[in-house]
Parts: sequence; structure tokens; C-alpha cells
Amino acid sequence: MLNKISETKRQFFAAAEGIKNSKELEDLRIAHLGRNGTVATLFEEFKTVTPEEKRVLGKELNLLRQELQAKFDELKEVIESSEKLSAPKIDISLPGRVPNKGTGHIVAETMNEIITIFKKIGFSVVTGPEIESDKNNFEALNFPADHPARDMQDTFFINKDFVLRTHTTPVQIRIMQTQEPPVRAIMPGRVYRNEAINARSYCMFHQVDGIYVDEKVTFAELKGTLVHFAKEYYGSSVQYKFRPSFFPFTEPSAEMDITCFICGGKGCRVCKQSGWLEILGCGMVDPNVLKYVGYDPEKVTGYAFGMGIERISMLKHDINDIRLLYENDVRFLKQF
Amino acid sequence: MKIVLSWIKEFVDIEDISVEKIAHELTMAGLEVESITNYGEMFDKFITAEVIEKIKHPNADKLSVCKVNTGSEVLQIVCGAPNVAAGQIIPLATEGARIPNADFVIKTTKLRGELSQGMICSESELGLSNDHSGIMVLSPETKIGIPLAEALGQNDVVFEIGITPNRPDALSHQGVSRDLAAIFNRPMKTKNLSPERIAKRIEEVAKIAIEDKVNCPRYSAVVVTDCKVGDSPDWMKNRLRMAGMRSINNIVDITNYVMLETGQPLHAFDLNNLAKSSIIVKKANDGTKFKTLDSVERNLSGSMLMICDGEKEVAIAGIMGGENSEVSSTTTNILIESAYFDPGCVRRSARALGLSTEASYRFERGTDFEGTMYAALLAADLMQKYANGKILSGELDIRAESLTKKEVTLRFNQIERILGYSVPQDKVVSILRNLQLGVKEVTDKIVVMTIPGFRPDIEREIDIVEEVARIHGYDNIPTVHRVSSPLVSAVDDLEMVNSMRRVLIGMGFNEIMNNSLQPAEITAVTGVPVPVMNPLNAEMSVMRSSLIQGGLATVKNNLNAGEKDMRLFEYGDIFIKKGEAINSFEDFEEVTVVTMLITGKAATKTWNEEERDYDFYDLKGYLKSLLESYLVTANLGHVYKTESDPVFEYSIEVFSGENKIGVIGKINDSFSSLFDIEQAVFCAELFVNCIERKKDKLKKYNPLLKYPKIVRDFAFIFDSEVRFDVISDFIRKNSSPLLKKISLFDLYENEKAIGAGKRSLAFTLEFYDLNRTLTEDEVEKEFSAIIQKITKKFDAVLRGN
Repeated sequence: MLNKISETKRQFFAAAEGIKNSKELEDLRIAHLGRNGTVATLFEEFKTVTPEEKRVLGKELNLLRQELQAKFDELKEVIESSEKLSAPKIDISLPGRVPNKGTGHIVAETMNEIITIFKKIGFSVVTGPEIESDKNNFEALNFPADHPARDMQDTFFINKDFVLRTHTTPVQIRIMQTQEPPVRAIMPGRVYRNEAINARSYCMFHQVDGIYVDEKVTFAELKGTLVHFAKEYYGSSVQYKFRPSFFPFTEPSAEMDITCFICGGKGCRVCKQSGWLEILGCGMVDPNVLKYVGYDPEKVTGYAFGMGIERISMLKHDINDIRLLYENDVRFLKQF
Repeated sequence: MKIVLSWIKEFVDIEDISVEKIAHELTMAGLEVESITNYGEMFDKFITAEVIEKIKHPNADKLSVCKVNTGSEVLQIVCGAPNVAAGQIIPLATEGARIPNADFVIKTTKLRGELSQGMICSESELGLSNDHSGIMVLSPETKIGIPLAEALGQNDVVFEIGITPNRPDALSHQGVSRDLAAIFNRPMKTKNLSPERIAKRIEEVAKIAIEDKVNCPRYSAVVVTDCKVGDSPDWMKNRLRMAGMRSINNIVDITNYVMLETGQPLHAFDLNNLAKSSIIVKKANDGTKFKTLDSVERNLSGSMLMICDGEKEVAIAGIMGGENSEVSSTTTNILIESAYFDPGCVRRSARALGLSTEASYRFERGTDFEGTMYAALLAADLMQKYANGKILSGELDIRAESLTKKEVTLRFNQIERILGYSVPQDKVVSILRNLQLGVKEVTDKIVVMTIPGFRPDIEREIDIVEEVARIHGYDNIPTVHRVSSPLVSAVDDLEMVNSMRRVLIGMGFNEIMNNSLQPAEITAVTGVPVPVMNPLNAEMSVMRSSLIQGGLATVKNNLNAGEKDMRLFEYGDIFIKKGEAINSFEDFEEVTVVTMLITGKAATKTWNEEERDYDFYDLKGYLKSLLESYLVTANLGHVYKTESDPVFEYSIEVFSGENKIGVIGKINDSFSSLFDIEQAVFCAELFVNCIERKKDKLKKYNPLLKYPKIVRDFAFIFDSEVRFDVISDFIRKNSSPLLKKISLFDLYENEKAIGAGKRSLAFTLEFYDLNRTLTEDEVEKEFSAIIQKITKKFDAVLRGN
């Protein structure tokens, strides 16, 4: 009987070699491990042998069944998983059902990216009205009447006392008039300039302004904050420079340039070969502004900054005509 | 402002410093160099040459073939200009020269078969003027074979500097030199003026009276007689041209030259045309007409300051002279006016007249009230040299006592307080001295200055801090980072808008942004608009009272571009006028709204999907989904409107509790037709500020259902007028709390099958209890009770049983 056992084993393993699919595998199982298979037949025969023989044969028979079952299980797994892969039930290459691609307007998206950076370093977000008093828009911000500084911002007037705000800076007046120092906030929103509409200028655009007033706020810290912003937004390798400039509501005032992110500072069409891009204006809050809101310029100092969003969006996405931003052509919108 | 390098070198010795370094340092000191024109480099490979022969081109009517002598060789040039002639000295672009105005490089080539070894240039091609009528002809004395830049006296560099409104002092070569002297710590050179005078005294030929000393606090005048009006010397013409001014004649050129050098605008009157040889400065008579130098008749108003002679107006103070006293070719005697006018006064007049000149530009920014006499004498000196003039002895100079220099004190510690780092005191003092800021007292704590007249912008300590910062260099200020926590506790309105944006974008909407300035008529439909006093045009004359008009215009633009299917949204402020006039913030309303807009196809035909048009229910579903993200839904209410309104054919007003938070509907045909839109547009507008935030009201957790739901369906035939919400409300009111959900799974209309004016509505009712398993019996009982009630109430017929 030992011969039969080893013969059964040989036959099983020989047959196992040629198994190609689950059908053949099932046939093999039935032939050997099934109710009337070779193994079952051997167990039937086993019942008839002597007790001495049983001791030896029992071990061998059990071993046979285990080995065959193990081989079968192994084969089953291999064959089933390969059959799963190779048996296509659907044409998976057919196109899927694609929902319409929703998009945010790039101006809003850019504004939010900027806001997020400042929020992380402790700036609150405050908004204000677009129809603003002449007082808040100009007078409080140290624009003297009949001063050429007013020419810097061509204004839409509602009447002699109200204007379409020309910058979001008046929101800083609103904050400081309702709160004692310290104040730290950014002020995003829409602003208007009475300028002819062409590829480079539009009668409205968006700004993010910022202000921080407290004891011991310095120009050095202004630089620190804006350098942090530039590195977060334009990448940590960005180079920068601060140039003296003029805004009525800050003194000293500066403009911040960064290395052109299109050409990396080598000079290109976008940066007009200079290697630099002007990205924002800033400065120390003018003592006249602090006085206007009732702060004591001998006790507190502050810094302020502001940047135009469209310009940043346009530079970033290589858009050469600002009007594209407000034409809302769906083919344009869906590109972002 | 165009600044000529050789000119500033007259005032400060910067011979050893490169052009690039000068430009960089000026920029870093606040005088931003916007461009550099280096004529020497620009005219590289341009030389002077003489035309020695001109013959007609054998193969072209309009061309000629010239032989030109460059001094070292004879070249053949094909030329198209009609005025080229043998004997002329001309500017020649030789092989490799780059034409400034055309950006191409000269190469030896054949033109219609004839060799051409260069190009004879026009002034326009050289970028010197707009004259392209013919080639530029140089003066016959010009040497041949020398570099063109040298021949033109333009072997020079010009910086174009953007001057901020606070720096009138830098609107002159002297002023820019002063900054350079401070930047490079070098002495400023001054000119010694001691022109020869004749015995005759100015008082004998002219007198001056100022009636308005507030607006004209200083008036200085010098008289030069026996002048010969003619051409200016070449060097002066060249400098004026490089600085962007046209040469007129020697007298006018000299006044312009002095203005560009000192910043003081001058006016030269023909003294013989001044009635009674007198100058009177006074306000104009309202309504007077006056013809300025540019031959334009101007209407004067009583607030404008005028220069008058004994009889009439002769100039608008600080802005422009009159034709009646203009220097002409026959003028001999000249009164040079050098005055200080009140900046505000000049600015108001210039704006009222719509006239801005080089003079008014400087006066309205503030000129140097101390420098008037120097400028007049400088001009007189030049007239003596270049117009053969004789300078009378003495000068007329009226000065109001109100003109005093301001005293400013700087506390050294303020520099560190504002800038965040300290600058050594001796460095500070040296910067202030180099800027000629009138340092008169220095202690270990303070420095006191008497600010000279050329710096009207400096009035306060902070102005001095700025001067120190910009000259010492912003680069020297360290960058300091401080970690911070928020200090302002205002509600962030944008947070809400942004979360709504995210949901809408996720639902496949495209965000748009429209101009807030809209046409008046269509804006008035949605609210009384706020008009703009000085609009750009009629299409942008009022502030929008809704975002719907902009949205519809967007739809139209896209339809024109062939894009027919859209889901758009926009957020932004709308403005509605409340009062008669806008005197305060109470007289108008400015609120933030979000508008959603769908039109065209919801789905296009694909292999696995049928084409379908958007309908009202698509938008209603989007809106529900959006609102459920923000609102406690139990508070939502509706008012259905089917009667027409100016915008909607039918609509629903949406409420959250008592607050109307928005409206949704189908745009009616007459409103769409204003935008030329023919397809159906569905639109919703939500008032962001009225929406209750989910995080404002905490939602409590509901335990999850552990017991089975029992679901029953029925369908009834109703009269078509019976509205769905009436039926569903009825079912809800007439059921026990076990009924948790009603949904409509079918709507069927068919005249033949169920009769005219009827429709079948099929409902699914869902019953469950959170605490127990319901029995079939109790649900069955409830269900049949509802069936009976519906049948009775609506006279409806139960189907299918």
C-alpha cells in the first residue's frame, strides 16, 4: 500500500504541473481529493489493513492528504488571482462620466493664497465697504487736499464726500478707530481707479493691505514679515530688495522687489530685462495717520503694506491682458 | 524726469563711478531709474560721412545709389530718401550697427541688384525725433568719419527717473546731484555767478506789485536788454533734446535750461509788450478770456492767479504765458520772471484749466522759494553769453514775510525706534550735512536743522528719519521676525464666502468676476442704483444693485464665443441707494451676495448618458445642497412666486427663520432679451450676511437608527393645479411621528390614460422609530389612514390597487 501512496502522490504532482485553469484544477481535486478520489479510496483500503500496518500507513496517509491539500490550495490561489486579472468583464478603457470641472476665479484664488500666509502669522482678516468716505480714503491717510499725491490715484466720485475707494487702506482707519492698539490685520478687497481700460489697466482691481501697530514695531520687523511672505509665496530661494518710495500714509516708505520668478533674475520680457519684479508697497505708518485715529505716535509705531492681486495673478500665470480676468470666458476660467 | 549724466557731473564729481552703479544707487535712494539710454553705445558703428555721388538706381524708381566717403574708405549705399544729395554730411549706419527705432542690424546686402554697404539714417530711425520725411543732414562743418554720438554732442548717458510726488527737489539736475553727493559722500559744487552788469538800473525800466501775497509769496525779476533772438548753441540744444525738450530759440531755451538745471520754472516776458512796464500779480476777473502761448483761448475764473501788466493779463501764474507777451524773433528786452507760487493755488488752476505744463508740474509740487533770484541771474548770465544781452543793474525782488524756513529736530533715538537698528550719530549728521539740510546744532541726543527751501517735503522728525534711512540704505536695515497671535477679533466675512466658494467649485461651478460698474438702466431693475459722478462711460455709470446683470452679460459673451452650457457663480458687493442723496453710510446699502447661474445642457450625449437640458430643479437641488452645508435646515422656509416680476418668470424666496436670505428662479424672457439671450437661464442670489453659520449654532448628534425602516409606496391622480408641497405638507401633518420621510419617485401626465388636467404623483413614505421595531400592522394602519385622507381632501384617485 505504501507504493500506492507514493504513486498517488507522484500522479497528483505530475498532473498539478499541467494545470492551466480553475476547471482543470477542480477536475484534479475531484480525482484525488474528492469524495471518491484516490485519497478517499486509499483511506477505504486502510480500514482493511492490520493494526501494525495501520501505525505506519496512518502517518503516511495523513501526510499524503496534507501535502495534496497544500499543493491544491497553493494552485488555487495562483490560478484564481491570475484569472481575475486576465478575465475582462467590462471595457475599462471606455471614458468615465466626468462631472463639470469647477474652478475658482484666479483673482480670488490668489487673494486667498496671500491671506492664508498672513493668517498663519497672526494677521486677522478685516473687510470694509467699497463706497468709502473721502475722509477715510484720503484725508485720514494724510493725502492733503490739492496735493499732487492725489494724482497717484485717479478717483471715481459718488459726490464730494463719497468715493469708490481707491485702495483698501481706509479699512485700517476703520479698525484703528474702533480698537485700541495693538492691531494686526490684513484687509483684502476690491478697489477702483478712474483709468482708461486697456490691456494693462482696468477701472477696478483687488488689493490686500496689511497693518501692524504696537509698541516697538519697527521697519526691521516690516522687512522680516514681508520677506517671510515673499519666501512662502514665491519660494525660499527668492531674492529681494526694498527701495525707498512714497505713499502719503507711510514714512519711511518702500517698494519691495523680488527676483523675477519667470527668468530667475536673468532678465526677460516680463521683468523688462531688469531681473526684478515690483510686488508691493510698504512703510512705517505715518505719525499723522496715527494721530488722526487718536493713537499716540510717541507711544506706538506701526507698519503697513499693500499689494495688487491682479498684477500678481497675471505675472504668475503669464496673462498679458487684464481684461481677460473680467471677460469671464469659460474657456479661460476652466484653465485654472 | 530725464537726467543727463554730463550735466550732473558739473555739480558732483562722480567720474570714477560706473553708469550702472549710479543708476542702482539712485534707485536705492528713492530716485527710481526706470531706464538708461547710453547714446555712445546706442550709436556704436554709426559714423559721419560725406555723400560724394548720387545716381539713380537702375532697377528702382524711388531709390538712388550713393557713394559716401567715411574718411577712410568709400562705400556704396542704396538710399530711398528723396532729400539725399551729393555734398551732404550724413549719419551713416555701418555694418553691424543696430537701428534704435527698428531693432535690426545693418548688413552688407544687395538691394534690387545693387550693393549696399550701410544705411543713411533719418532722425526718426536714430530715435532723435519723429521726423522721417528724409535723411538727417548734419551741419557742413561736421568732421567726417567720427562717431555719430560725438558729432551730435550726445556722447552721453540719460537716466529716466520716476520722481515721486514728495520729491520736487529732484525735478532738476541740481537736485539729483545733491542726492548723489550724499550717497557717495562727495562735496557738491556750486556755481559762482557774477555776470557783468550795465549801469542802467532795473527800477528805471520795470516795476512789480503783488496784490496776492498768499498765493505769490515771492517774485524775483531781472531785466536783460539788447538781446538777439536766434538759435541756441549746439551744446544747449543737445542737452535739451536729451532731456526731452524741443529747442525753440535761445531765450526760451535758456529759461527751460535753467529750469532743468535748478528746478525753478522761469518765464521770459518781452518787456516792450508789458504795458506801463509793470508786473502786477493778482487774481483773475471771473469770466475773462485769455489766449495762452499755445494759441488756445482759456476761460479764467476768479480763483486763478494771474500775472498782469499795467493793462491786461499776460500769464497764468505758474502755468503758461500769454500770446500777447511772448518772446518773438524781434524781441530785444526781456524781463525774466522767477517766482514762488503757492502749490495748491497752481494745482487748482491747472486742474480747472485742464492744462499741465513743466512749470505747473513743478510749482504744484513745491519749488525752492530761496532759489528764485539765483535762477533768474543764471538765466541772465546765459542770455548775456548766448544772446548778446546786457544785464541791468539791480534786481526786483518782493518777498512775503510768511516765507520762513522750517526748523526740525531729530532725536537720535527715534532712528532706532522707527527703523529697528541704530545708525552711528556721526554717520547721521554727515548724511544730513551732505543733503544740505541746514544742520545748525548737534548734541549727543539731538540734531537741529533749518530746512532749506528746496526741500518743502521735510517738515517733521519722521521726514528726517526717512532721509537717513534712504541714504544709509534700506539694505542696511535688518530683517526681524516675530511670532505672533491674532490681535483683531473682528468677524472674518471672507471665511463664509470662501467656504461657499469651495462647495460651489466642488459642485462644478465656474467662478466669475464682473465689473461692479454697470449701465444705469438695467441696474435700476433690481434696486435704486448709486450713480458715479465721473464715470468712464455710460456702460459703467452706476454701482451694481445685483450680480444677475453681470452674470447674464457673461452668459451672452460666452454664447457668442460658442460656449452654450454654463454653471457660473460670483460673489461680490451690491449697492442700493436708500436716501435721496448720499450724505452718510445710512443712505445706501452695501451687502455681499453670492449668485449662481445655470444655463444650457446639464449633460451632453455620451455613450452612457443621455443629453439633458438644465432645468429649475437642477438649480434648486444645487441651492439646497449649498444651504444645507451652512444652515440649520429646519429653519429653511420658502415663498413661491409664480406671478411675473421684472427679473423672474417664477421664483422662490428663501428664508432662514425670519430672514429672507435669497431668491431662486427662472429669468423671464423680457429680461433675458435685454442681454440677447434666447436659452433658459436659472439663477439664484443669496445674501451672505443673512446666512446663519453652522458653527454659530451647534448641531446636536442624533443617535443612529438601530431598527428596520418600513417603506410604503402609493400613487394618486390629482388635479394638476394641486402643488406638490401642499400634498407633502398635508401628508406630514396628518401622519404620526413615525413617518420620517416623504419622497416623490414619479410624476406622470397623460391625457389619454389619466385624463386632461390630471397628473399622477407617486410617493415613497418611510416609517421608523428610533427606539423599537415597528410592526407591519401599525404601519399598515397609518398608511391606509393617510390614503383615505388624501383621497378625501384632494378628491384624488389612488392608482394601481
